[in-house]
Amino acid sequence: MTAFDHSRLPAEPAHRLDPDHPAKPITQMANEKSSTMPTGPTELSRYDPMRRIIAFDDFDRGFCGWTQLVGNYEHSLDSMLPGFAEHTQPQLSNVTHWDAGSHGAFDGTYALKIATRPRAGSRNVAIKRLTFRKPCPVRLEFYFAFKPEASELLLSETDVKSIGFCYDLQQGAEGGNRVMPHFRFLNAEGGRHVQKWQYKDAYASFSDIGTEGKTVSFDHLADQDWKDLPGGSQKICYNEVPTKINWHYVRFDFDLTTMKPVQLQCNDRTFDVSGLSPIVIPAMNNLWCMMNILFFAEAATDKRTFLYIDSVCLSGDF
Amino acid sequence: MPVLRECQTAVVARNERWTDVAETEPYEAGWASEIIIFLRVLESEGALAGAAAAVQISPDGIHWIDEGARISFPAATGQVAFVRLAHFGQYVRLRAELGTGLACKVIVTINAKA
Repeated sequence: MTAFDHSRLPAEPAHRLDPDHPAKPITQMANEKSSTMPTGPTELSRYDPMRRIIAFDDFDRGFCGWTQLVGNYEHSLDSMLPGFAEHTQPQLSNVTHWDAGSHGAFDGTYALKIATRPRAGSRNVAIKRLTFRKPCPVRLEFYFAFKPEASELLLSETDVKSIGFCYDLQQGAEGGNRVMPHFRFLNAEGGRHVQKWQYKDAYASFSDIGTEGKTVSFDHLADQDWKDLPGGSQKICYNEVPTKINWHYVRFDFDLTTMKPVQLQCNDRTFDVSGLSPIVIPAMNNLWCMMNILFFAEAATDKRTFLYIDSVCLSGDF
Repeated sequence: MPVLRECQTAVVARNERWTDVAETEPYEAGWASEIIIFLRVLESEGALAGAAAAVQISPDGIHWIDEGARISFPAATGQVAFVRLAHFGQYVRLRAELGTGLACKVIVTINAKA
């Protein structure tokens, strides 16, 4: 896999270089000032993207195309599966708390906030819907934080059940598959602070939606079929009251040519996930080259869980 | 190129059945300078005429107080009612106190603009 060359970055990140208007190389800028200068704009130098940045979403610039995962329906909203019906829109948050005020994001002010309802087992999901133009290795990186709503003067470290992410992909050629690598950090279960990564390789059955014979739905994020990642226990910083957050880094490498996961990294830990199968489903009639990215949060108790995403970088080796 | 104003629409209650006391989930709109809250009734049981929902604001998303603005429920199923707000701070929600025997399914939508 080819690493992204930060020297190709313009002064303002998030756009590929226009070959007709090349920016001054970052290395040249560094030489003009100090050899210890960072190797790129701060917003991107904290990422390790592959050579083409597909999307760089810093939520100080707005929602960047992240929206609510709406369940499928036909004729009536009542036909939506219950797991999806409770989903709400993500929000732009400055991470404000009752005891101190606004916390802010990793940089700037705003993060994307995915909030569950105040009910044990509640879930919420945000999604960005793309398609891919070349089957190739891709890298998803993001900085995140999570906390329960600070509605009690308690540490509350076991009130967040999990946070996680997945792709929803479909190969471009007929006869291919829909492929959905899922990962979650199971923070707490049954009052225990378990702190481990899990994945899914199986899914619940499909349900017909409506009467037209055109729509189905299945709750691929349901709280079942999760398996422990081998060696996937990880102690993640959880600061000392529920209003103090720390930002964490995740990198997930996936290969669109083989439709297999490659590697998962969270902060200082790297996990070999190349032997794990994602959820694989025969291709559906209308999802060719789909490349959706989803973030989700689950509550362990009757208290809202908040997943904050500071920024996301999706890159590919093409 | 001029800086375009951020403008976002969020459905904060979709097909939710309200009885007795009902509230929308807290919505953060600190980045916005104005919002409109729309209320559409999908189904109703009992006469909703005269019923209203109060706009509430909060310093932290936990403690709430009436802002003063209210939305009267629309007269008929399918109709839309709304309220305009500015200077609302950060957290906003809608709270309805329905009388005995009243119930409805609603869609509540917040349109926010920087």
